[in-house]
Amino acid sequence: MSATPVLSMKAVRGGYGDADILQGVSIDVAEREIVVIVGPNGAGKSTAMKAVFGLLNVRGGQIVFDGEDITGWAPNRIVRRGICYVPQVDNVFRDMTVHENFEMGAFLRKGNLSAAYDRVYQLFPDLKAKRRNLAGNLSGGQRQMVAMGRALMLDPKLLLLDEPTAGLSPKYMEQIFQITRDVRDSGVSIMLVEQHAKQALAFCDRGYVLATGANRHEGTGAALLADREVAQMFLGG
Amino acid sequence: MELTGLLNYALFMGILIGIYALLSLALNIHWGFTGLFNAGVAGFFAVGAYVSAILTSTPAGGRIGGFELPVVLGWLGAMVVAGAIAWPIGRICLRLRSDYLAIATLGVAEIIRLVIKSEDWLTGGSRGITGIPRPFGDLDYMASQAAYLALVLAVLLAVYLAVERQLRAPWGRMMRAIRDNEAAAAAMGKDVSARRLEAFIFGSAIMGLAGALFVHFNRSITPEAIDPMIATFLIWIMLILGGSGNNRGAILGALVIWLIWSMSEMLTDRLPAEVATQASYIRVFVIGLMLQLVLRFRPEGILPEESARQRHSTP
Amino acid sequence: MSAIDFINFYVVPGLVLGSIYAVGAIGITMVFGILRFAHFAHGDMATLGAFIALAFVGTGLDPWTALPLAMLVTAVVAVGIDKTFYDYLVKRPKILTVMASLGIALMIRSVVQVVWGVDPQPYVRGIVRPDSFGGILLRPRELYTLATVVVLVVGLVAFLHYTRWGKAMRAMSDNPDLARLSGVDNRQVTMLTWAIVGALTAASGFMLGINTELNSMMGWHMLLPMFAAAILGGVGRVEGAVLGGLIVGLAEEMSVLIVPSQYKMATAFVILLLILLLRPSGLLKGKVL
Repeated sequence: MSATPVLSMKAVRGGYGDADILQGVSIDVAEREIVVIVGPNGAGKSTAMKAVFGLLNVRGGQIVFDGEDITGWAPNRIVRRGICYVPQVDNVFRDMTVHENFEMGAFLRKGNLSAAYDRVYQLFPDLKAKRRNLAGNLSGGQRQMVAMGRALMLDPKLLLLDEPTAGLSPKYMEQIFQITRDVRDSGVSIMLVEQHAKQALAFCDRGYVLATGANRHEGTGAALLADREVAQMFLGG
Repeated sequence: MELTGLLNYALFMGILIGIYALLSLALNIHWGFTGLFNAGVAGFFAVGAYVSAILTSTPAGGRIGGFELPVVLGWLGAMVVAGAIAWPIGRICLRLRSDYLAIATLGVAEIIRLVIKSEDWLTGGSRGITGIPRPFGDLDYMASQAAYLALVLAVLLAVYLAVERQLRAPWGRMMRAIRDNEAAAAAMGKDVSARRLEAFIFGSAIMGLAGALFVHFNRSITPEAIDPMIATFLIWIMLILGGSGNNRGAILGALVIWLIWSMSEMLTDRLPAEVATQASYIRVFVIGLMLQLVLRFRPEGILPEESARQRHSTP
Repeated sequence: MSAIDFINFYVVPGLVLGSIYAVGAIGITMVFGILRFAHFAHGDMATLGAFIALAFVGTGLDPWTALPLAMLVTAVVAVGIDKTFYDYLVKRPKILTVMASLGIALMIRSVVQVVWGVDPQPYVRGIVRPDSFGGILLRPRELYTLATVVVLVVGLVAFLHYTRWGKAMRAMSDNPDLARLSGVDNRQVTMLTWAIVGALTAASGFMLGINTELNSMMGWHMLLPMFAAAILGGVGRVEGAVLGGLIVGLAEEMSVLIVPSQYKMATAFVILLLILLLRPSGLLKGKVL
């Protein structure tokens, strides 16, 4: 695993308006790796992810993806380059069917998409039976799966998931984690932000702990779980 | 002789400008300070006009009224009824987005127009109401006009001062807070809906008062007096051009637009008959175009809102 | 009153009027849903479409042949109006576009008045007797109106559900941020929306004109019923606009059984207030903006 990382954030600084929320964040994601970002509220976890996707004013540092500097790129350019982003809320087209959601995911792609559909229905077999249902009528967990499937239709190299298990029952949480592992195994790198730190660190490959917009700890999931300081910070729950 | 004619004309214009300024002020309460899109201004104006007419006019066959009450009561009645109509509309629409209020007020104005035209027993139908008393009407012509102008200006000044005072009071700051950031204001525990309803009713009552002032000036009223949509639109552009969120801007806008409107009417009246009608439509086109231009190039109006943090009222 | 009389005097006119409202309401609901504002110039745009068709009829064409041409021209005009007057307001609060559209309504109306005058006129002169279809009386123009509406609605729904652009429009109405993230071009969808809205609006104006008569205020008088229909059906929902239009049309025609006929126009207003009071999201659960 010493190959060049797929994504490399180096000392990234920036914010939404004039104030900087990120004070120099550095995160690497390697090929076929699940990297989790955890931290207390206000640590800048989602902000760091949005910086990767071009939704932030980046004022310092660099973001390199697949060998190319993408700092400051607009989101639709980043999408074409191979990064897909699943927001925490409003992440599906509620009045469109599951299948139509996937179609919209592949809106920018031309050519034969049957392989792409096969792949997402394989990853989310529950959705195959429901593919003519409106996404808004599905349960929270199934909607989350639609959101992820939509993002995968563009065959991204890197998938960004913003709190995918927020508000889900433990059963769905486990399912989402399992699916995330399947997605990784199919060749996609994954960066995810999570509030459920303990479970997230248990299932990921590597993790970063952020606090007040900067790196605090990093390491494998297991190592972080075992670390006393990290446990003190917030793993009480 | 010529000078008298000019003076009379100036007095006449002054009165109308005063009444329109009052309407513009009232709309400012709705839009400038509370962010409410009232597309039915003419309706509230008409209600006020007819109520005052019914209460104060001499009896006439075929319709109720002829109570011959004092003019002041007519004006009070106008304000009360106009406000009363605003209440249910406000209750239903104010919790929804402005677009809905706009549609509903448009509808209200239409219904009022229908009622005025159809209910002969109430409004005299297309004949309208005549025999409406005019304060100072017994004086000779120019003196009577001057006196009425003074009256209108007095009312305008009173309303202006009242609104300005409210604005500087905690009420005004709260209204601005609600308008600019409704979520934060609600979090502070202010009863947002109730405050907006108050503003809506109050503004509507002033519009009714303007109607009453008009009807006592004119001494009669008929439904075809003016196309309600054009009247409403004129008042809107008076406010937007003058500067919404600014009371002096509202008054200034009334002056400017009314001058343009009447000057253009004078010009088109001199044209030969066939072209004159076309020209009157072109005047409307030009006013509509003016709004687009103002929205594009000077949305804050001539006199912008004067708070330290000019925000939502500046379009 | 016998059943067949009831159908002929109330149901048939109600359905014809209702389907005219339906086509107009579809345009309103599309602008609400995709462009997110109340389009106050909609009625006068219908008037314009109707008169453009009249101009084509003046060159010798049959009215129903003039219809598609008028729809095309109005589509172009609608796109032009957007580019000239609404485009620069896009980043500002939507209520300003509403305000602008009120001004555009007056401008369109005055153009119609200057070019064609204010006197009412028909597409074709002469009395037309209805044909009997098993007791139900329908004039050819009423039949064509109903058929045209069916064709337009089916065509539009098919477009929205089976074509790439149609889905892009639905996506923008559903979740504009996500649509942008998916690569949908906002400006292209906007232009397409205005073209479709312009064409549909012209059709509703034409059909009103051919079933009654043309005058410069005709579209403005349809505005309230069309808004009531769109909101009743559920803002943003095309099927809702159709349902709402039919209900408003039938209600308006049948209102004369209860209130004097001058108050027909008030029916739409009452429906509007009721739905805003009881269920602002409408019958088919659209957005509440």
